[in-house]
Amino acid sequence: MSVTVLKTEKLTYIYGIKTPFEHVAVKNINIDIEKGELIGVIGHTGSGKSTLIQHFNALLKPTEGSVFVDGVDIWQDKESTRNARFSVGLCFQYPEYQLFEETVGKDIAFGPKNMGLSSEETERRVRTAINFVGLDETYLDKSPFDLSGGEKRRVAIAGVMAMEPKILVLDEPCAGLDPKGRDTVLSLISEYRKNTGSTVMIVSHSMEDVAKIATKVLVMNKGEEAMFGTVDEVYSRADELVSMGLNIPEITSVFLKLKEKGFDVRTDIYTVEDGRKELLRYLKGGSAK
Amino acid sequence: MNSIIDFENVTFRYDEQEENSKEVLRNINLSVEKGSFVAVLGHNGSGKSTLAKLTNAILVPQEGKVLVEGIDTADEDRKNDIRRKVGMVFQNPDNQIVATMVEDDVAFGPENLGVDPKEIRRRVDESLKAVGMFDYRLHEPHKLSGGQKQRVAIAGVIAMQTDCIVLDEPTAMLDPRGRKEVMDTVKRLNRDMGITIIFITHYMDEAVQADRVIVIDDGRIRYDGTPGNVFRHIKEIKKIGLDVPQATELSYLLKNDGIDLGDVLTADEFVSAFEKLRR
Amino acid sequence: MIKDITIGQYFPQRSFVHSLDPRSKIILTVMFIVLIFLCKNAWSLLLMSAFLIAVILVSKVPLRLFIKSIKPILPIIIFTTVLNLFYVSGGTTLVAWSFIRITTKGIYTAIFMAVRIIALIMASSLLTYTTTPTMLTDGIERLLSPLNVFHVQVHTLAMMMTLALRFIPTLIDEIDRIMNAQKARGADLESGGLIARSKALIPILVPLLVSAFRRAYELAFAMECRCYQGGEGRTRMKKMKLGLRDIVSFLSVSTCIAGVVLLNKYFGSLI
Repeated sequence: MSVTVLKTEKLTYIYGIKTPFEHVAVKNINIDIEKGELIGVIGHTGSGKSTLIQHFNALLKPTEGSVFVDGVDIWQDKESTRNARFSVGLCFQYPEYQLFEETVGKDIAFGPKNMGLSSEETERRVRTAINFVGLDETYLDKSPFDLSGGEKRRVAIAGVMAMEPKILVLDEPCAGLDPKGRDTVLSLISEYRKNTGSTVMIVSHSMEDVAKIATKVLVMNKGEEAMFGTVDEVYSRADELVSMGLNIPEITSVFLKLKEKGFDVRTDIYTVEDGRKELLRYLKGGSAK
Repeated sequence: MNSIIDFENVTFRYDEQEENSKEVLRNINLSVEKGSFVAVLGHNGSGKSTLAKLTNAILVPQEGKVLVEGIDTADEDRKNDIRRKVGMVFQNPDNQIVATMVEDDVAFGPENLGVDPKEIRRRVDESLKAVGMFDYRLHEPHKLSGGQKQRVAIAGVIAMQTDCIVLDEPTAMLDPRGRKEVMDTVKRLNRDMGITIIFITHYMDEAVQADRVIVIDDGRIRYDGTPGNVFRHIKEIKKIGLDVPQATELSYLLKNDGIDLGDVLTADEFVSAFEKLRR
Repeated sequence: MIKDITIGQYFPQRSFVHSLDPRSKIILTVMFIVLIFLCKNAWSLLLMSAFLIAVILVSKVPLRLFIKSIKPILPIIIFTTVLNLFYVSGGTTLVAWSFIRITTKGIYTAIFMAVRIIALIMASSLLTYTTTPTMLTDGIERLLSPLNVFHVQVHTLAMMMTLALRFIPTLIDEIDRIMNAQKARGADLESGGLIARSKALIPILVPLLVSAFRRAYELAFAMECRCYQGGEGRTRMKKMKLGLRDIVSFLSVSTCIAGVVLLNKYFGSLI
């Protein structure tokens, strides 16, 4: 049975209303997100994806329409707005630039403390969170400024995880990391979701990354919801994605091009392993003819 | 061979006092040919950024020598000669733009070199045209996109009439569109103006576009050759923590299944190799 | 809110005012500011305002931008006006109720102060709207260059100004980003007393400082790579040349000053 945790209704946001810079950033978004999903949000710069996610934890107030977390309109009263801040954890791009405390432990505790949790509970959450991001507890006493770039990133993500949000939203969590750092972050996000059962959304430019971990994909284009469905549903429409200026996985374009050349192969391929299987199937089928 | 940059037995460590502090680069020997396009790959902390900084005397090695057109980078008096030949573009586009207007920023380098005002004007216009930013010459840099900022930074370097541009992860902070803008610009400068390019990155799709790929790991050169030659070592490269182009990986997997497509680097190459196989 | 500050904003346009040498523009602005405070009666105030509006029209910078530049300091204007209204005494007393006393002189002074502040802001905005920050700092550098004799590092000061102007928008964006990130972690920046609020600033100030230092460090590297070695031996792409336009401008401002002095004498002083 599926339960909706996050829902938007006719959500529209306009920047700089009544100024010469007026600009519709997101337009009429209606999405339903179910508990436990891992949603990948893709779209190029200016597609409205960053604006959209800032609505989920009430950092932005919709110009029109509403946002519901667990069925509650987050703007119905002050209490609900405050709750949304904590039930939706938002981790911004390059989150390591928000670290400020003397020790990693204190920095991770910042969120839980703001929630008014007891010190025992805060302590527990800090320890859980540091484990989630694959660092051991000796890190808690270190200064965040002495860590490597990848470690800083993980500590910053832990700071949001420690709030134990129902929905964890990460904006470009892999931006600027090398392939190893990227794989580490992706797998820890995936593990986090498995272990906590929480809902996760990641915004990304990389369709390869999204293909690796997401269960559903939301594609934004020019402020509008262009597609929303399972990874298979969305990636099978590769030509449309290309026309939106998105970089489809290279492996997918291999199969699109093979198809174009007249080879009768499937085009809904987005991992290398699937590609191998499909080509072997094709070659066998071909030789049988 | 006509080389522009030579590393001779270069060893570098950041902490000069401690004799046995960790060496960031160890015994590097490297020669970069004039007019070539070299991609340097490596994960964070592999020493690739240090390598970049050694090329124009920001850093000077403790052991060995770095020569730029024969000039030793350790020669204090010739630092400006070296920097005039080898320009640098950095990762963060915001932190290398000095002026509040695009054309003034491009003029910064030639102004420092004491070039005649009329000549600066000519060079600035030409450089901005070369990177496709001439129409933006009166814009404020902070209002540009990441890719545009990087192109302004590149224009600022070529306005100094450098022979070689070293780009230290210029695309790491950009979106796919910005990455393509930078890559296309750099390729054009290499092809049309003969500028030597040293392009540091961890994106494989960028590295395959170079003439030569150097893989650095743990302060040493692991692989050095054409993209085809280097990416053939799929397992090893993955072990180092780097990616391999998906088309290459697929051809590698198929080879194990008894289907040999040869060295493949891009989707197009894969498709034409596959076509050949089937005809 | 922070983004409303218009000082340092350039409005690209081709006009007589834009084409003036930045050095003359700086001196003329200073002259004009003196002129503003020379006005002693309604007639001279009128002449000064008319002159200012005429120059603004010539500059082809839309008037609404000037109105926008006054907005942030409106509270100050209102405050000084009210203060003058109640505290300056002299002339005929118009209202006397309890401790409140409004006199004609109070009213005059209040009006004069308001007009002067507005004119002051408009004149300095005119300078920044019509001069690029680079030209402005170059102008200042050249005007102050005689100070080099006294070992004042004029070039360094001008460079610092340029970099400050360059990085202000970048840092404002950065503050926005950090504030949002900390808000997302439940930071409360809006409520509480003075101490609570200043404490709440730490999570914003620390990352901001760390990032500013990182930027400064990287920028210094980048500048070194582009052969920056201070002012010595540097040339400039944009040369400055005094021309007929500058002479015309100096003459018109001087004429305006003479006119104001004359009107002051002729009609007497109101304040």
